[in-house]
This record gives sequence, structure tokens and C-alpha cells, in this order.
Amino acid sequence: MPLIKVPVEWLREYVDIDVPVSELARLLHMSGTEVDKVERAGDAWDRIWVGRIAALERHPDADKLFLATVEYGAGRTRTVVTGATNLAVGAVVPYAETGAKVRDGHGDGIAVLTLEPRKMRGILSEGMVLSAKELGLGADHEGILLLDPALPVGASLGDVLGESILHIELQPNRPDCMGVLGIAREVAAVTGTTVREPAVDPLRYGGLGDALTVRIDDPAACPRFAAALLTGVRSGPSPQWMQRRLVAAGMRPIDVIVDITNYVMLELGQPLHGYDADRLAGRTLVARQAAPGERLRTLDGVDRVLPTGTLVIADDRHALGIAGILGGEDSQIRADTTTVALECASFEGRGIGRSAVTLGLGLQSAASRRFALTLSPELVPLALARAVRLLREHAGATVSGAIDVHPSPRPAATVRLPVGDIARVLGVDVAPEQAEEALRRLGFGVTVSDDAIVAVAPPLRTDIAIPEDLIEEIARITGYDRIPTRIPEGPLPIHERHPLLELRERVRDLLVGFGLTETVSYSLIDPAWLTQLTSDGAPIAPAPLRVQNPTSVAQSAPRPTLRPSLLDTARHNLRHEPGIAIFEIAPIYLPRLGDLPEERWTVAVLLAGKAETATWLGPERAYELSDAEAILDGTGRALRLPRPERSPGAPGFHPGRSEERKIGERHLGVWGQLDPRVAERWDLPAETFVIELDLAALLEHAGRGAATAPPRYPAALRDLAIVVEEARAYDEVRQAIVDSGKGLVTSVTLLDLYRGPQVGDGHKSFAVRLVFRSPDATLTDADVERSLKRITGKLLHQLGATIR
Amino acid sequence: MSDADLAGLQRDALAQIGAAADAAAIETLRHRYLGRKDGLLTAHLKSLGALSPTERPAAGLAINAAKDSIEAALTSRLAGLRAGTFDDLGSDRLDLSLPPRPIRLGRLHPISATMREVSRIFATMGFESVEGPEVEWDHYNFEALNIPKGHPARDKFNTLWISNPLGDLAERPMLLRTHTSPMQVRVMETRQPPVRVIVPGRCYRFEATDAYHESVFFQFEGLAIDEHLTMADLKGVLYAFARAAFGGERRIRFRPDYFPFTEPSAEIAIDCFICNGSGCRTCGGSGWLEMGGSGMVHPNVLRNAGYDPARYQGFAFGCGIERVHMLRSGTPDIRLYEQNDLRFLETT
Repeated sequence: MPLIKVPVEWLREYVDIDVPVSELARLLHMSGTEVDKVERAGDAWDRIWVGRIAALERHPDADKLFLATVEYGAGRTRTVVTGATNLAVGAVVPYAETGAKVRDGHGDGIAVLTLEPRKMRGILSEGMVLSAKELGLGADHEGILLLDPALPVGASLGDVLGESILHIELQPNRPDCMGVLGIAREVAAVTGTTVREPAVDPLRYGGLGDALTVRIDDPAACPRFAAALLTGVRSGPSPQWMQRRLVAAGMRPIDVIVDITNYVMLELGQPLHGYDADRLAGRTLVARQAAPGERLRTLDGVDRVLPTGTLVIADDRHALGIAGILGGEDSQIRADTTTVALECASFEGRGIGRSAVTLGLGLQSAASRRFALTLSPELVPLALARAVRLLREHAGATVSGAIDVHPSPRPAATVRLPVGDIARVLGVDVAPEQAEEALRRLGFGVTVSDDAIVAVAPPLRTDIAIPEDLIEEIARITGYDRIPTRIPEGPLPIHERHPLLELRERVRDLLVGFGLTETVSYSLIDPAWLTQLTSDGAPIAPAPLRVQNPTSVAQSAPRPTLRPSLLDTARHNLRHEPGIAIFEIAPIYLPRLGDLPEERWTVAVLLAGKAETATWLGPERAYELSDAEAILDGTGRALRLPRPERSPGAPGFHPGRSEERKIGERHLGVWGQLDPRVAERWDLPAETFVIELDLAALLEHAGRGAATAPPRYPAALRDLAIVVEEARAYDEVRQAIVDSGKGLVTSVTLLDLYRGPQVGDGHKSFAVRLVFRSPDATLTDADVERSLKRITGKLLHQLGATIR
Repeated sequence: MSDADLAGLQRDALAQIGAAADAAAIETLRHRYLGRKDGLLTAHLKSLGALSPTERPAAGLAINAAKDSIEAALTSRLAGLRAGTFDDLGSDRLDLSLPPRPIRLGRLHPISATMREVSRIFATMGFESVEGPEVEWDHYNFEALNIPKGHPARDKFNTLWISNPLGDLAERPMLLRTHTSPMQVRVMETRQPPVRVIVPGRCYRFEATDAYHESVFFQFEGLAIDEHLTMADLKGVLYAFARAAFGGERRIRFRPDYFPFTEPSAEIAIDCFICNGSGCRTCGGSGWLEMGGSGMVHPNVLRNAGYDPARYQGFAFGCGIERVHMLRSGTPDIRLYEQNDLRFLETT
């Protein structure tokens, strides 16, 4: 938001301030004028004193140098060598001791030097007497800054000459506060005093004839355009006091004409622009839209083709500048300019903002930042009259005349506020007289009837439109701290359930319970990451959305998969962790045609490195595939998912050590060992395990679980050793047992997996323990044997298994 | 089988029981003599059937007496053995200072944990947690919130604009939501008052990052609409939240602020719980910690969402999730959250 610097000394010109600066800042802050900080100019002045020239003589060996003896209190004197010609014995000047830091008077006025004793033409110079520029008070480096002779010699300069500058962060709805005077009005309102308006030369409009004409071709973009024609203008430096204020407010003094337009902008908030009138074709200023393909060489030296929709100020022939944003080179004021056409116009702020963006300039200048907020057209005549006054006083100008084009003046906003509405909104009563007083202090015209306050907004307040606006004004002047705290009454809404969010939180807790650490990583990623997830760079996810104006490439695409984020987090942590087990739960962003993307809530898990480190209790152990499956299985059991279907292999994974899982046609997710080539690319161990699950799919199939009493009849255990061919999956064996067990087999546990001479080449043996149980009766040996026979028969026929 | 056999059996049993060395031996003996299928005494019982009805009762009594005596001996010997086992507990010492088997501790990310806690606190005041899309239409992020195109307040929300690989709609710009406020409108469009919701979620700004600013961050938005809600209710809800989240006798400070979608608007601050308002490093010496923005929902926003501003009014507020956690935990840099260094996460 716009930041302005307001020197308190300048503020005092318009309003009496009888509270300390810190209290002033607090009052402004608490009434809505955000004081970012209070800068003390001069705080940086260390070892700089009020000095008096006690003696002055010529340097014996240099024509243009003087030896000045400076007293600076308590009998302290030093001799400095100086080239300045404006010194005299008895002059009171700023004196900087050796070791003090001063601005470089020969440079840009920003670089800082630390003073050291120095021999100049054979004579030791200790310290310096300073110019305004060296103190950071102005641009003047012609001579030493001569101080008020009444200042106490030996005092710290900061104590007597320092000043406070309020740094104010303005809200975009308060263009009326873009100048010191606007802030002064706020000060007056909160302290209960009145504002002294600055002196102006009242302008007589008309009578310029052909000497200067002004025209508005686009009144929507430029509602008001005034100008004054000034002759006999002398260029040169502006007065010291003005330079000092400009510097304090953050602007560089240039010359009197530019300085005065800047000064008025800082004072009133309204930018002005001066043209060399003799260079205006047809002595005309027009506010119009740029013609197609129209060109302009702007003050920054760039040749521009003006895009359509750019408002320009032009003369009869061509564009002179981009309205409100940047002037052109041709018509700018030069050292030999004597006749000035001074433009003072108001522009529609949105157009300025749009153009600044279209032109790639942004709102860089103090003027464009102000115009973009849509300044009140009522500022125009005021600012013009003020600038003319200052140009007359300080630049020798004579006014030939002025023009003000304002086709459709808008009446000031009148708002009716029913008295009861104040308490209805604030929750606290404000007496009508108090409300009226608050509005009057802010410059509103107020009439109070029995049931309503009718307020006419001050001409510069463009932000007032509805009763709530008045309520806020009243509240901020009477004090927001008067609003009490209360707990809302009334019926509570019935809450809806959010099953997906509930499931998401459950899964979070589950995974934390499994010992995993949750991570939350940037949802914007480098799209190049998406080409590094498979060995051949083929994508594992659809092409992502793109950020049109990313802060960096690294954050330029809303991620369509969580995998790269997890891999990145893992690789960073594995530099210092022996092993990690992490998960992230977040939406992935999948583009859709003509709609917002699908934000698909996904959970992703990664295990890599050491599951256990070596201790006195046991050796280290690396994560293995079964650790990942345990998490998958545990999640499935906790959520009571039906047993999923598996299909081997998934993109980006080790083809023989990964699976896609589905329930029916619904894709649940993928899991397995990362493709070792991908792992290598991400500096991860070859054995890195990843799980990715779609939370909505989990939700769709998560079981409710009906509570049942524990079984009443005892179980019978039987162990079997089943030999099958190597190609058979365990799950086929397990499934065959369950299918042929006809509901009596309640669990199958794999006790051992054996390969070796006892089962022969190309075979393996599963030792399993079966639990038989009937819900209806105690099973007899015969029952169990019958079932077992069916099972072994099925294993034999279906899988070619033998039972050992 | 004779009485002598029975007496011999009983004698043998008692002798063996007396000599049994441990509980397992007792169990073996119990099985040998009293086993249901083939216990030696059980065999005697089974043989009762072969006796004449006159002999049966006496024989039965004798066998049962033998059985009782064997059972009693088994029980007493077992008890004796147990007592012996526990005699030495006093001298059976392990070095408990030896490090235990390491257990891997799972941990929620501080952002998740904080979002949960915030939701829980507001739930106690009747606020339901709802969530909305992060990729949003310009309409919900700005237009419906009284921030039309070209409005200078848009500068406040440095926006990241989105382009869709499947094609952009010139008339419907897509963006990453700059705040959770779009959900104000989405919620009001689908519900009738009374409304009380809290919206936690991720937001995005085009912003240079530093220790206190992230371009990707989390917020929570609150919205309450009813017929009689006032700024005092807003202050009360935030006050209750501040006390629940930060403890103690927290105070809430409102200061005028500006948001196009609330009027009047207020910046929320709580008194610093580190220094109790006297000024310290955490609060930058001011004694107050800024928490976020709030205000009464602007009539235009109510209207845009289809509510009648003459009948309904309410308040909205928004605060940073990370801010809440940073203040409570002393986390020095907001960027730590999404860097996910486990050495940091372990300390949260």
C-alpha cells in the first residue's frame, strides 16, 4: 500500500500539535491512519555538533582553501581545512568530529563516509564543517549550512535540528490523505482542533484566448483538466526550507519549477505537470486516447508504442506524455524555459492502474501511485492555485491566465444514517450528539433529525457512500476501544458433516500412529520436476496448471502429484537423517476443461534409509518393501477397506516391485519401490518406497464396521506346508484357501517361505497356519478334517500345489 | 483293578508330585494321573463300569478320594514352587538406565496441528469447519467481495494468476486465492442464516519471502451471519479465541483498518502474552501482536451472495495459521514450516 513520509515540522504548518510526537503517532494509528514508524531525522548524526567559527584564515599554501578554527563547546576547538567561501568568524555551523559519519557531498548524497584526520596541503584537518547535502538535509553543496546563530554552541546537532518524520501506510480508499494537508485534517479531527489551509493565489479562469487551450476528449478517463499559463519563470534552486521538506519527505530537489510541483503534490496529494508552453503545438493540451500505433519517447528515454486504452496528454500534433504515469521528452521544462503551461488534472484511477500494468511500468512514481487511487476532482483548482502562488513567490512567475474544464461535476455524497443503525452495527450506543461531533470534526456537513443523521461528505472524501461508511467514521473518532466484547446469542446453525475431511484427519492420525512424520510442502513446484519422475521422463500426471506470473520457476506450477515434493523433502533430510518415514496429505491440482481444476485430496508416504539404527539391542535394519505394505495394509484394515485388486507395476516405480490397487473400477492408488533410476536422479537410496492413495477413493470404500460380540465357540488350528511353482503368488494360495474354506477359515497366517532342496528347483513352499471357527457350534475334528480336505483338493486342482 | 493298585498309584503320584521341580513338571503329572482321556486315575474311573452295582459305590468313593488327594497335592506343590520362585525377586535386578529399544515417533506437522486446534476452539462457539478451492475464479476472490477489476485495493492482494493447459477463458480469469475470504461468498450462496463457519486453508500471494512472509501460507477465515450480530460479537468471539489459544487474561484491541469487503473494518491485535503488554522483542516493543483483519460483512458482499442486507448482517475475520503457531512456539522463521527439515519438525 502507498507509503508516505510526513515530517512533523511540516504538519505543524497546518495544525497545532500539543501532544508529544509518540502520542500523535498513537492517536493517528488508533484512528485508522497507520503509522508504520516514526523516523527521527538526525538520529544518524553522531559526533556532529553545533559549532562556531572562532577564527578564519587563508591556507598558506593553497589559494582556494581556508583554515577555520571551530569551537564546539567546553573549550573544545579544532582546525579544519575547507574550500567553502560562505564562512565568517562568528558563523554558527554544523561541525563533524573525526569518526563521524556524513553523506558524501560530491556523490549522489546517499553514500556515507567516515571522517578521518587528513592532511590537506600540509595542514592537518580534523573533522569537517558541513553542507546541507552532507547532513542529508538537501541538495545544496555550494556552501556550508549556516545555522541559526541563537543555537547553543556545543549542543549535539541532532538535539537541536533533528526532526520527526511519520511513515504512514495509507489505505487505498483514502486518496485524500496522500498529502501532508490530508494528514493534518486527520490530526485536527483526532485532537479536536482546526486546520489552517495553505496560502493560494485565487485564479481567474478564462481570458487566455489562443495562448493556451485545454480540451477533454474522454471525460470518463479524465473528468477534470485545469491549466495555468505562467510567464517569466526563472529556473534555479528552490528555497532551503522547501528543499529540506522535500528531502525529509523522500524526494530529491531538482530545480524550483519541478520542486514546486513536487512540493504541492506532497502537500495536497495532487500531482501537477509543467510543460514548456512554447513547445506545445497549437498551444493546446488535450486529454485523449492514444491513436492506434501512436509512438512516444518517454522521459526514461524509451521509445514506446502506446497500446490501445492508454490515455495521453497531447498537443495539436502528438502525444506529450502518458496521462498520470510518465511524461514525454519533447515538451519537458528546460533550463531556458520561461513560459510554463502547468497541467493539473484528475484521472480515473482504474485506467491509470491498468495502463501502468499494460505498459510494464507499474505504479513506480509518486504521481502514478496517487492517480491510481482516483483523486477527488475537487483537488484540481486548489492544487493549481497553490502551485501558482509558490511559482510567483519563488520562481518569479506571472500568471497569464487559467482554464478549468470540468464537464460534469459530481455533487458531494450525502448519506442518511438512521440513528439506531450505529448500535445495530457496533453493538454499543453512541449518542447522536457525539456522532454528530465526530463527523463535524472530519469536515462533514451534518444535520440531525429525530431518527437520522444526514451527512454531506467533505469534497475530498471520495470513499463515503453508505451508512456503514459513516458508522466507521464515527467509531474511529469516538474510539474502537469503546466497542465491548460479547458472545453471540441466537440459534446455532446445524453443522453439516464433511466425510472426506473427517477421513483425511483419521488417516493423518493413523499414519502418525504408525510412526510417520507429517510434512507440509509448497503446493507450487518447478514443472521440470515432473519430467524427473520416470526413467524416460514420461509424465506420471497430467500437464499441470501454470502460474502466469510466478515468483520463481521453482514455484510456477500447482502440483498435479505429491511425489516430487516428497522426493525433494526426503533427499534434503537424508543428508542428515539415517532414515526417514514421512507423509503428506494435500490436494493435487488436475486441470479440467472450462472449469476450476479438480483438487484431489491425496495421501503420499515415503520410506527410505534405515528403519532402525544399530544399538546394543540389535543391528541396524533398512526399510524394506514389507514396511511400506504394512502401512498400506494397516490403513486398509483401520478403514475397513475391502481387499483390493492388484495389478503389477506403476509408472515411476520398480516394475517388479510395485502395484496399482483398485476396488472394482475405482483406482485407489499405487505403491511400491521407486524405480531405482529415478531414486538415483533424486539422490535417494535405491530402496526408496512410496505409497500414493486417493482419499476420495478410500472414503468411497471405507467400511462402517458393524459391532459384533466376540465369537462364542473355540477355534481349531491347523498348519499346512504347500509347495507351488515359483510363479504362483502367495495371494493365489491364500485366496484358494479362503474360497474353499467356506467361511470356516477365519485367518491364514504365513509362517514361513522356503526355497531349497526339499522342494526342488522352481518351487517354493508356504507354511501357513489356518484358524477354523464356526459362528454356530464347536467344530469337531471331523469338521476340520473335512474342510482341510476340500482346501488341499482345491490347492491341488487349481494351483497344482502339493502338500508336504 | 484292585484297591492295592489304587493305593500304589496314589503313593507313586504323591511321591512324584513331592519331587516335581517346576510348574511344567506339575502339569505333566496332572496330565499323567488326571488327564481326561488317558490319565492313570481316569482309567480306574472308567473301570468302575465293570464292577457289580454293589461294589461300585465303595470303589467310586475310593477313587474319588485318591483323585482329591492327588489334586490337593498338585495344587499345594505348585503353590510351594511359586512361593519359592518369588523369594528371589529382591535380588533379580536389571540396569533400568540402559537405553530402551528406539521407537519411531510420528508427528503431525505444526500447521496441521494448529489448524486442528483453531477449528476445535471455534467449534466450541458453534463454528463449523468448511474448506474451499485454492484455485479460484477472479469472481469469488475479488468481484463478489466488492473488489472490481482495477480497484486500487487489488494492489493489497498481489495475485498469482493461473493459466490452464486445456485453455483459458478470457472472461473468467483463474487465480490462486489470495485469502480464504472467497469462501464467505461460496458459503452464503449455499446456506441460509444463521451461519457460523471457520475456513482453514492455503493462500497465495506474489510476495518476496522473508522470516515473516511467505508467498504460500495458511489462513483461517471466520464468518458469522444472523439478524443481530454486531462488532461487539466479533470482538467477543476473537477475545474467546485469543484466550483459548494463547491463555491467560488476553485483551483484544481493534484498530480501524480497510478491506473492501467489510465495513466497518478492524485490525485485530492481542496484548503480547510474552510481556503482558509491557513491550518486548516479540511484539516489537508495542505490547500488541497483530493477528489479522476483520469487520462487518459489507452490504454489497451480502447482496452479491444473495442475502438481504436489510435483514441479515454479520462479521468476518481472517488470521494466519503460521502466525498463531509462530507466536506460541517461538518459531523464528515462517519459511521453516514448508522446508520440512525433520530436525525442526521434531521440536514443534
